[in-house]
Amino acid sequence: MGAYLVRRLAWSIPLVLGVATGVFFLLHLAPGDPAAYYTGPGVSASAMEQVRRNMGLDQPLPVQYVRWMGSMARGDFGVSLARNQPVRDLVLQALPNTLILTLTAFALAFLGGMLVGVVQAVRHNTLTDRLLSLGSLFFYSMPSFWLALMLILLFSLYARNVWGWALWFPASGMVSVDHAFLSPWGQLQDRVRHLVLPALSLALVLAAGIARYTRGSMLEVIRQDFIRTARAKGLRRSRVIFHHALRNALLPVITLFGLYLPFLFSGAVVIETVFAWPGMGKLMVDAIFQRDYPVVLAGTLLFTLTVVVGNLLADLLYAVADPRIRHG
Amino acid sequence: MTDEGNFPPRLFQGVLPAPLWAGVLALLTGTLLTGCAGDPGERALRGMPEFCQEALPRVASHLSQFPEPTGERFGGTAVAAGSGALAGGMNALVSTDYAGNQHQTFAHLMTLVRLDEELEWAPYLARSWSLGGDGTEMVFHLRDDVFWHDGTPTTAHDVAFTFLRATDPETGFPNAAFWAHYIPGPEGVEVVDDHTIRLRLRPHADAMDPWRSTSILPRHLLEGVPPGELREHPFGTRCPVGNGPFVFVDHAADGSWTFRRNPAFPEALGGPPYLDRYVYRPIPEQTTLLAELLTGGVDVYVSPPPDQASRILETEGIHLRDYPFRGYVFVGWNTRRPQLADARVRRALTLGTNREEVVQAVLQGYGEVANSGVPPFHWAFHEGLRGAISHDPAQARDLLEEAGWVDRDGDGVRENESGERLELTIAYHPGSLQREGIAQIMQSQLREIGVEIRQEVLEWGTLISRITDPGSRNFDGVVMAWATEFRVDDSDLFHSRGADGPFGWAGIRNDRLDQLLDTLPLMTDREEALPLWHEYQELLVELQPFTYFYYPRRLAGVSDRIQGMVNDVRGDWVNLPEWWIPVDLRGRR
Repeated sequence: MGAYLVRRLAWSIPLVLGVATGVFFLLHLAPGDPAAYYTGPGVSASAMEQVRRNMGLDQPLPVQYVRWMGSMARGDFGVSLARNQPVRDLVLQALPNTLILTLTAFALAFLGGMLVGVVQAVRHNTLTDRLLSLGSLFFYSMPSFWLALMLILLFSLYARNVWGWALWFPASGMVSVDHAFLSPWGQLQDRVRHLVLPALSLALVLAAGIARYTRGSMLEVIRQDFIRTARAKGLRRSRVIFHHALRNALLPVITLFGLYLPFLFSGAVVIETVFAWPGMGKLMVDAIFQRDYPVVLAGTLLFTLTVVVGNLLADLLYAVADPRIRHG
Repeated sequence: MTDEGNFPPRLFQGVLPAPLWAGVLALLTGTLLTGCAGDPGERALRGMPEFCQEALPRVASHLSQFPEPTGERFGGTAVAAGSGALAGGMNALVSTDYAGNQHQTFAHLMTLVRLDEELEWAPYLARSWSLGGDGTEMVFHLRDDVFWHDGTPTTAHDVAFTFLRATDPETGFPNAAFWAHYIPGPEGVEVVDDHTIRLRLRPHADAMDPWRSTSILPRHLLEGVPPGELREHPFGTRCPVGNGPFVFVDHAADGSWTFRRNPAFPEALGGPPYLDRYVYRPIPEQTTLLAELLTGGVDVYVSPPPDQASRILETEGIHLRDYPFRGYVFVGWNTRRPQLADARVRRALTLGTNREEVVQAVLQGYGEVANSGVPPFHWAFHEGLRGAISHDPAQARDLLEEAGWVDRDGDGVRENESGERLELTIAYHPGSLQREGIAQIMQSQLREIGVEIRQEVLEWGTLISRITDPGSRNFDGVVMAWATEFRVDDSDLFHSRGADGPFGWAGIRNDRLDQLLDTLPLMTDREEALPLWHEYQELLVELQPFTYFYYPRRLAGVSDRIQGMVNDVRGDWVNLPEWWIPVDLRGRR
């Protein structure tokens, strides 16, 4: 197991370096001069050149590449061209925000999705199954930005202005502007209230997919002999379903977990933009449009790492879920 | 909570090993509680650059000596929001964005002069000024009662420092063109005494303008910073120390900026602002912005698109403001293209387009048809050209025929003698319904006069490099917006000197145009200059390097809570210190 881990990690080094190099050159090949974004009209060629020099863009590409690799190795990610702040600070600010959103959405999606999948499998071909199928297909096929806007419309705008509900949810941001003046309990409530709509927008779509997978694999497992044996020896139905059947039906869901893991860190671009949630997704998209090279590069490097780690984690989790799988 | 008996719920026990469940729970709680503990002030300082750890406590201790003003109007927090972030921050020497500049000049920092409601020069940091030596010497006399928020007096040395950095090529000042007529560097500036400064320049009609748009920066805090490193210095985005009516509090991870009242702001300049706090929040999605305005999350929604106007108008408790804006939208023609080289063809393209209909369709009427880049609020605006070159398909057809473009094969599209079809591509970037609307309307209307228009949607960076790279200029027409300032100088756009420069999109070369563009900026006597300004605008109508579409009006959705607000062509925040909230409507802190 230890050797396996070392081997996998060693392999990931050239992979990460390769991706970083590819992105570096692709990014610089894209049309558009970053210096032009940050200067007004009528700037002389020499002033423009100075702006490039101040931004470190005046050197030939290979020189920029070597410099960038060097500073990366020292943990220096440079300064954002658009936001005039160290990239490390920006990422360190955005990452926890993204994690709050994606971890909550993940937890809701996996718990809810698995539960729905199990219920559907157990009540196979009943009205409940069909209704839940309809529901999960409805959310699965829905564009997340549209779902997000509908949730804002219903649970923010209509809930407050039309229906006059006492409990409605803010349409954007992570906290209220008077957050700092609230009691600790009030602050926690404020955070949760802001989290509800973005987390639901993400979780509903994710959960729908997870429910489909769980239902499928549960249906296979539930028909097998060992389930009948378990029931025959007098175990409670819920014990059989959740302990014996679900555990065996988990493998495809774990694969899904591994695939979704990088998303925990990359954030949800669309949802973060709609809800003005200051996470990694929004940071990266802004950076791409503004040709903010240092931010894009640092973000890509981080995402590559999470893909590698996500896959590794999924492989390790297989062994936890299924004792027949052993890495060596 | 982590007791295995309760968590995970009994149903899920055994699905994953208990330690994994505990991990998930711990992560969730931990992240949710992030930032909930500790004193906000202390927390804000932790992890800040050394510069901020020194500067911010000095500001706090200086301002704590001044009592907060009392009175019915004082109090409350106003929240403004818009889709733009003040990304460049409060450092006037390195930022280019409009909203950032507005917050520098009207909230956090101070300029030497500003414009009054009649758009005449009014004193601000400068008490008075004089332009001597036939327009080659400018002297400013500064107020002596303005202090930086850390207690240091604002003096002529700060002005000289700002000027020297702005004109130092190493700074890479993004708006260096503002200062083109000033003698750069130490030869151009002399500090006469702490409150008097003398500057040398070449005579220019807009000599005052840079002192309105560029805020003065504190020499005592930034002098030691190499000019090339000003951009990344924490002053700009982490802990700016200004001298204006609002003091910096926080620039949060979500891009929002929080300011509080400067209790020491001089009475002679209006005194401390009414608001306790003012917050600006960037929210990129317009539907979200509207929802926030309608649910009271924000008080001022800056620049909603015209299609949201009716929703704002019909909602109780908020109102819509509309006012002139400094900018226009146009289609720029590449006159290097053989089909577009003839001014008659370009005039026909404008005559064949119903621009009034465009204003109604894409702006819901919140705009005015434009015929040049001189906006209606400008003193030199040519009233006589209102309604010039308006929709006239018959005249457009005649002009095209005169220029040799006739539909020779009966397919509905005109050809020239050698059989080339009059086909043009109009490029624009995605994300703007208005630009898309313009391209579509042109496509359908120009088809009527025998011109085939194709649309090309290009990502912003690609579009810009396509039209600005003098080596390629691979475009026929492009839908663009141009921000004008109070000074209009189109030299970059239309002078033959700039035809090969980045902004010489049209590539037009005309001797009379060159003469006018050379002369107009130097004429300080408005009466003398007016006929020439009119001639300039008439020449643009004749040459049509651009089909000017409209001067849009700026909109703002404003909560009825906010009183005393003024919006006009000077900006959305022009009288921020005078905004106030009635006591019974204050609600949030």
